[in-house]
Amino acid sequence: MKTIFLLACAFVLSSCKIVKPYDMVNINDPDMLLANKKCERFETNFQIYREGASGANGGKSGGGCGCN
Amino acid sequence: MNKLLLITSLILPVLFYGQADQNEYKKRVLETAEVDYVMSYYTQDGTHASVTGGIGTEKLEDITPTFIIALPLNADDVLTIDAGISAYSSASSSNLDPFDSSGASGGYDDDDDDDDDRASYAGVSGTPWYASSGASAQDVWSGVTVNYSHTSDSRDFSWNTQASFANEYDYNSVGFGGGLSQQFNEKNTSVSLSGLVFLDNWNPKYPTEIDSYYEAGSNLNNGFFGPIDILDQTGAIINKNDPNAWRPNGGLIVNTSRKTYSGSINFSQILSKNLQLLLSVDIVRQQGWLANPMQRVYFSDKPNFYVGNPSSIPNYETPQNTDVFQLGDDIERLPSVRTKLPFGARLNYYVNASLAVRTYFRYYQDDWGLVSQTASIEFPVKFGLGKFTLYPNYRYFTQTAVDYFAPYEGHLSTSDFYTSDYDLSAFSSHQMGLGFNYTDLFAQLKFLGFGFKSLDVRYNYYDRSDGLNAHITSMGVKFVMD
Repeated sequence: MKTIFLLACAFVLSSCKIVKPYDMVNINDPDMLLANKKCERFETNFQIYREGASGANGGKSGGGCGCN
Repeated sequence: MNKLLLITSLILPVLFYGQADQNEYKKRVLETAEVDYVMSYYTQDGTHASVTGGIGTEKLEDITPTFIIALPLNADDVLTIDAGISAYSSASSSNLDPFDSSGASGGYDDDDDDDDDRASYAGVSGTPWYASSGASAQDVWSGVTVNYSHTSDSRDFSWNTQASFANEYDYNSVGFGGGLSQQFNEKNTSVSLSGLVFLDNWNPKYPTEIDSYYEAGSNLNNGFFGPIDILDQTGAIINKNDPNAWRPNGGLIVNTSRKTYSGSINFSQILSKNLQLLLSVDIVRQQGWLANPMQRVYFSDKPNFYVGNPSSIPNYETPQNTDVFQLGDDIERLPSVRTKLPFGARLNYYVNASLAVRTYFRYYQDDWGLVSQTASIEFPVKFGLGKFTLYPNYRYFTQTAVDYFAPYEGHLSTSDFYTSDYDLSAFSSHQMGLGFNYTDLFAQLKFLGFGFKSLDVRYNYYDRSDGLNAHITSMGVKFVMD
C-alpha cells in the first residue's frame, strides 16, 4: 500500500502542468475545497461512533469515548 | 512518539517562522471576524445495543449546538475558538441500570388485574428492549478547542497549534497538537504535517449489577441483591450462597487512562484548471483502557441468571420481553493498544459553473483485525446566479469485524478479550442525503453588527446492514463582522 501511495505521488508530481494563479478561478470555487464543510462535521462525528474505522478525512481520530 | 509530536507542534513552527518586509502590502489571511453557528439533530434506532450485550434497543437522540469563532489577530494570525455541547438521550445507556420501577419496564403491567404479580420480584425488573429511567439515560458532552494559526508573508507556509478539552459524565479528554503546511509549484502543490495527542481519562460507570456486586463485597445477600431474587434459566430462584450462583468475571478497571497519538501527512496537487487531488495518510496509536466499561458481555459457557419476571425468560431475546433482565457476565475487554492506519484520497472536478463532482475514498486497517473501505460522491449543483447550491450525496462503507467480536452469548469466558459491540462487527452501510447552501457574498443582511454570509442545511439517512438506521439533520449559519 505504501508503494502504491509513493508511486501515485510520483506520478502526480511528474505529470502535471503548472496552473497559473489567474487560471485558478475554478479550483478556488468553495465546492472544490479538499475538505469537509463545517456542517458535515456532525456526519463525520457519528460515523466515528457507529463505525470501527476513522481518520484520513480531516476529522477527529482520537479523544472521546464513543460510548453511545 | 509523544516527544516527536510535541516537537512537531511547538518547536518547528518557530524555526520555520517566515520573515519578510513588513512594509510590503499583504492581503489578510482572514479579512474580518467570522462566527459560525452549526448544529445537528441525530436520531438512531437498532436492535444490537452494546450496553446490553449485543441485543436490545439502540434508540438515541442527540442535539449538538456549536459556535466557531475565527478572529484575525493581524494580517497573518488567526485565533479560532470552537465550543459546543452534545446533549443526548440514549435508551441503551439508560440500561446501564435497567432495574427501575418508573421506566418502561418498571411501569409495565401485563394484565388488568391488581398489581400483585410484581411482588414476586420485589418490584425490580428490567429489559434490554426499552429505556429505563437510569441516571445515564441523558447526558451532556461539552468541548472546546482553541486553535492559533500563523501564515508566512509569502502565504506559502503556515503553522498552527491547538489545545482542546472535552468532558462528559464518565469521560474527560485533554488534547493538544499542531501542524505545518507548505505550498510549492506556484501554489499547485501542498504538503502538510500534523500531530495530535489526546490524554483521556475514564470515570468508569459499570453495569449496575456488576458495580453493586463489588460494592457489597462480592456477597449476593448484601446491598442491591439483598432483597432481590436471582433466577436461573428455568425461572427458579437460586440459592445465593451456592458456589455456582451468578458471579461476574474479571474485575473492575484499574488503569482508567486512554492516550491517543495521531500523526497525519496530507499531499494535495492541482492537476488541471478543473481538477485537484488530495492524498492523506494517518497513523493513530491508542493506549490504555480502550474498551467501554458500560458494555456487558454474556458468555456461552456460563449459566444464565436473571432478575425480573420468570415467565418472560423464554422471550428474553425479543422485544416481547418487557420485564426480565439477564445479569451481565462481564464488561467488554479489549487489548490495551490499538494502531490504526487509514489512507484517504479526495478528487474534485469542476465540470462547469453549475456543477462539480466531489469524491472521497478511504482504505483503513488496524491491528485488531478491522479492515474497511469507504467511498463517497457528491454533486454540488449551483443555480440562481451561484447564490444557491444543492448537494446530493451518497456514501458507501464496509468493514470486517475486529478479532474480538462475537454476538450475544457468543463468547467464551476463557478468552482474554471480548466485545459484543456491533460498531466493531462486520457490516456495510449506505448513507444518502441532500444539502442546501445559500451564500450572500456581500453579507447585506445585518444582525447585531454582523452580516449574514451563508446558510447550510443538510439531511442524511444512514442504513447499516445489521439493522441500525439513523437520520441526521445539520445546519450552519455564517456571520461576518462588518
